[in-house]
Amino acid sequence: MTAAPRIGEPAPQLRLPDLDGEVTALDDPAGSPVLVSFLRHAG
Amino acid sequence: MKVRERWPRFEAVGATALFVVFDDPALLRRTLLRELDDLPFPVLVDRERRHYTGWGLQRAPWWKIWMDPNVYRVYGRLLQAGERLTIGGVDLLQLGGDFVVGPDQHIAYARPQTRDDRPPVAELLRAATDAAGGD
Repeated sequence: MTAAPRIGEPAPQLRLPDLDGEVTALDDPAGSPVLVSFLRHAG
Repeated sequence: MKVRERWPRFEAVGATALFVVFDDPALLRRTLLRELDDLPFPVLVDRERRHYTGWGLQRAPWWKIWMDPNVYRVYGRLLQAGERLTIGGVDLLQLGGDFVVGPDQHIAYARPQTRDDRPPVAELLRAATDAAGGD
């Protein structure tokens, strides 16, 4: 099981389609801090 | 989605956001997103939960979910939306988490869930502000 990344470590890869199928990657908005929130389910 | 209510504060420090879900998009449009038009950030879909695994997010022991009153609030919302609770269709034990990634693509804040809770929005905003190099 992969451990969750810790502060100071490189962010894992993130590249996924949105609800309309358009692919977005973590580094798309380059130069900005990004809040990444993984939700549990439907709420 | 409390982050949305305070989104201008995140924008003010130059932050963006990515929300990741593993639910069926059609279900999301009928439930979570039904009253959330024009979200200012993308909602990304990870049906196979590969990124949940890649970011080290675990599945909870059953008792941490089923003995948490918050879970029943979520179910109530789904039932209100006319959903049938088909346990087989959703992994109720999958946990989420919140991270802030700095402009250098390194983790500036990490809070993987150990139960069904989320950090206060003010804590996330503070982390985003710090990552942006602000006050």
